[in-house]
Amino acid sequence: MDGFERELKQALERRPAPPSLKRRLMEKRASLATQRRHSRVVWWERIAASIVLCGAIGGAVEWHHVEEVRRGEAARDQVLTALRITNHALNEVNLRLTSRSRTEKE
Amino acid sequence: MARDWQPDFERLVEEHQSMVFSLAWRMTSDRGLAEEIAQDVFVELDRHLSKLESPEHALHWLRRVAMNRSADALRRRRVRGVDLWVEIEENHGAPVEERNSPLGARLEQLLATLPEAQRAALVLRYQEDMMPEEIAATLDTPLATVKSHLQRGLKLLRAKATNHLKEYIRGA
Repeated sequence: MDGFERELKQALERRPAPPSLKRRLMEKRASLATQRRHSRVVWWERIAASIVLCGAIGGAVEWHHVEEVRRGEAARDQVLTALRITNHALNEVNLRLTSRSRTEKE
Repeated sequence: MARDWQPDFERLVEEHQSMVFSLAWRMTSDRGLAEEIAQDVFVELDRHLSKLESPEHALHWLRRVAMNRSADALRRRRVRGVDLWVEIEENHGAPVEERNSPLGARLEQLLATLPEAQRAALVLRYQEDMMPEEIAATLDTPLATVKSHLQRGLKLLRAKATNHLKEYIRGA
């Protein structure tokens, strides 16, 4: 290292950082940590809201399905009742026709 | 392997703030910008704290990121259309600390007029007292390129300083 390089080395000694740099940095760090915490809370809130919404939609779909099944069963019962009534009426008609034809033969 | 070194952010800031700030200032010749870069570097350090394995690793990481951020800032300034060389010439009037001799102060100003790659190599060599191999690792540049930048930068700076001294003597 010659004289010029020594002079250069001396000229390029580290400069002290501004005294306020560390304070500002620590403030920024604290504010970033708060922001990160806040954004984490917001994310959890979003996740919770999504879960509640999915539950509500799932419940509604399930309720709709159960209701459809119940209506189907009620309709089937009505059809069976109607068939039973028709069957009974036809039996009655059949009996009357049989008895009338027997009377006519005698 | 268990890591026995636990990085303490506040202590790292305390220890290295002048190094990071000086690198950024010498690379950008802008005190305000250097402060911003130093802040960004330490904010990024905070995010990477868990990945640092030793004090040497932290020092290497800080030097590397400080140089990269300074290069980014210079690139942004060029993209913005600011004529860097005019700005640097203007910055020659910026206050240079009293502790420097007149030649030392002038050397520091002349350093700002060197091409960026040569300036980076010289700053790391003479401010941080790093060997060319370490500079190559920090700047992610081939060793031969670093040696060439050091040689050419030093030659150019020497020539500029000689001219300045001639002008100074002529003016006296």
